[in-house]
Amino acid sequence: MDDAWVLPVMPLAAFVALLLTSQYLPRRGDWVAIALMGAAFVLVIPIAVDMADAIGEAGVGNFEGVSRSEQWIEIPGYIEIRMGTFVDQITLVMLGVVTFVALLVMIYSTGYMHGDRRYGWFYSIISLFVASMLTLVIADNLLLLYFAWELVGLCSMLLIGYYNDKQSAAEAAKKAFVTTRVGDVGLLIGIIILFWQTGTFDIHTILEAAEAGEIQREWLTASAVLVLAGAVGKSAQFPLHVWLPDAMEGPTPVSALIHAATMVVAGVYLVARMLPLFEVVRGLPELITALGLTTTMLAALIGLAQRDVKRVVAYSTLNSLGLMFVALGSGAVGAAMLYLFVHAFFKALLFLASGSVIHATEEQEVDKLGGLWSKMPITAPAFIIGALAMAGLIPLSGYWAKDEILVGVDHGPLNDVVLLVLYISLPLTALYMMRVVMLTFFGKPKDEHVYDHAHESGAPMTLPLILLAALAVVGGFVVFEGVGEALGFHSGWLGFVYNPIHGPEEFHVDWTISILSVVLVGIGLLTGIWMWSGTAEPARRAGAFSPLLYRLFYNRFYIDEAYQAGVNYIVLAAGRVVAVFDRVVVNDTGVNGTGEATGFAGWLGKFPQTGKLPNYALAIVVGIIVIAAVAFGYRGT
Amino acid sequence: MESVAADVPLQHYLVLSGVLFTIGVYGVLARRNAVLILMSVELMLNAVSINMVAFAVYTAPSLFIGIIFAVFIIAIAAAEVGLALAVVLRVFRNRGTANVDEVDMLKW
Repeated sequence: MDDAWVLPVMPLAAFVALLLTSQYLPRRGDWVAIALMGAAFVLVIPIAVDMADAIGEAGVGNFEGVSRSEQWIEIPGYIEIRMGTFVDQITLVMLGVVTFVALLVMIYSTGYMHGDRRYGWFYSIISLFVASMLTLVIADNLLLLYFAWELVGLCSMLLIGYYNDKQSAAEAAKKAFVTTRVGDVGLLIGIIILFWQTGTFDIHTILEAAEAGEIQREWLTASAVLVLAGAVGKSAQFPLHVWLPDAMEGPTPVSALIHAATMVVAGVYLVARMLPLFEVVRGLPELITALGLTTTMLAALIGLAQRDVKRVVAYSTLNSLGLMFVALGSGAVGAAMLYLFVHAFFKALLFLASGSVIHATEEQEVDKLGGLWSKMPITAPAFIIGALAMAGLIPLSGYWAKDEILVGVDHGPLNDVVLLVLYISLPLTALYMMRVVMLTFFGKPKDEHVYDHAHESGAPMTLPLILLAALAVVGGFVVFEGVGEALGFHSGWLGFVYNPIHGPEEFHVDWTISILSVVLVGIGLLTGIWMWSGTAEPARRAGAFSPLLYRLFYNRFYIDEAYQAGVNYIVLAAGRVVAVFDRVVVNDTGVNGTGEATGFAGWLGKFPQTGKLPNYALAIVVGIIVIAAVAFGYRGT
Repeated sequence: MESVAADVPLQHYLVLSGVLFTIGVYGVLARRNAVLILMSVELMLNAVSINMVAFAVYTAPSLFIGIIFAVFIIAIAAAEVGLALAVVLRVFRNRGTANVDEVDMLKW
């Protein structure tokens, strides 16, 4: 675990190598990226084994992570900044998820991105992204974390704008970067405040200082809110959620890796890591919960009305991210990380399966799809498994994770309200997932031409689908003590990842919650199937019932438009000020003015040149008198 | 040389020199004819000569400094007037006038 720093080095090497040489390599060097990614994934295993052994030795609940740091910058007596790694259970979960999903996505891309003009560049930037993400999760200090955080955002922007001949892609990339920038600035200021108050960037020192009450309350609150802002931006929580649906302009493998499984959960990771800081500030956990609830409900409603398959999955990602934040707000770190873990599988599965559909039909809108069940015998069941896992059907992985979140929320503050909203979201989620399933794979094909051309995708694409589908089915079983112990971790998931304040937990069933959630999900699924089967007549009637609501959902509550109007106003106002300044001060006064002043001075200067000798003689005489007066005047003093 | 200081004080000569110089300056500034301006310049030079000689006689007569200076002035004045009159002649032939007010081609 001391050598975890090796992990990011490998994809980083792939990035550099491919950036420089990919055009000279066979197949543009995708095998370089995949090989190094595979190596990174394989190297996670010894780390896991090490950690399992360490837990075995120290006992469940006593292992607190291994850290290693080196001195980086020192000004004696003034500042010392260290760089290092810290590996604990949360880190290990992230390492496993990132390397595994990245590897699968890279393999998938050999099929999906085949023959593309920027194929080599694609693999090099994805490698850079993975390297940054890995650095982010092993960083032991906020400075290194921020550095990796920014790099991850950069890679996301670059990859969203991958199709650089499309205006919409460029706009989406800009929107993603600018929106997350708002959060990132907050994060930076928060980090600076924490450094200023505690004298260090080291995460553990800061958390200890916060818990011991060594930081002044105002600065504690300010820095916690600002750091949270960073997480809100990166994890697309309301109100900074607007970039994620537009990020679907990027290629589908990018959506699967960055905007589902890894980057967007960087915010969840940050909150989980810094949770002791947040829990010390009064009202902050409640704020986190509120943001999460808003995000999840907003996303569910909007997703219900979207017509693009990838958009629906994007909003389902927002839905899931909101859930994770709700869990964190109630302090249920184990539940949140479990959801992060299984979500990576079924969300990547959903995206990759959508990609398979898009690749096969060249279409993304449900208006052109339908009846693909018979044409895509691997993709269709894979997508459906992902959808069911997302909805939380027992015994798929999503069920166990959602259940743990519900239990965790029950133990937290505001539990009644939060539980109620979550219960409402359960059938909603099932509903919109079944909607997209029914509209894409069942019923009559809406476009005969598209239907005829549809075909199952090749092996590089379907194999990852199968693997992810299998994991989406069984991934949730790690909650069981038996399963965890069989894998060598000496406990179930909740004994492995837990909130340091509450300590490790054993898995147990809360029958009320479990039965209620199963029933609600079932209702949602069946309603979805009924509403959208065949010609989707019930759905049409529901839509006609309230066109106002439909339009509200379809237009994403007009939030994007509101932001754009605000930005326009500010930018244009600032632009007007600058334009006036540029025109009046710089151009008229500065440039033209200087010229005219010089000309005027010249014009004034010509009048003494009368050409008349007596004038000149007078000037000489007067000058002599003046000089003499001055000289004798000085002599006098 | 014996000093004649007892009878005529130095200041008298200095005032004479100053007055002559001032009249010369007035002449340079106020005359329109070029030749008259040159005459005024000569007057100024002579005034300066008187000044020099007066100082020499009254302060250090054995050194002859002022008197030598006056000799220089006479020589230089002669050379300069020759040159100046030549210029005035050329201008007169070219422009048809010796009136300095009318020779203002170099004006703006």
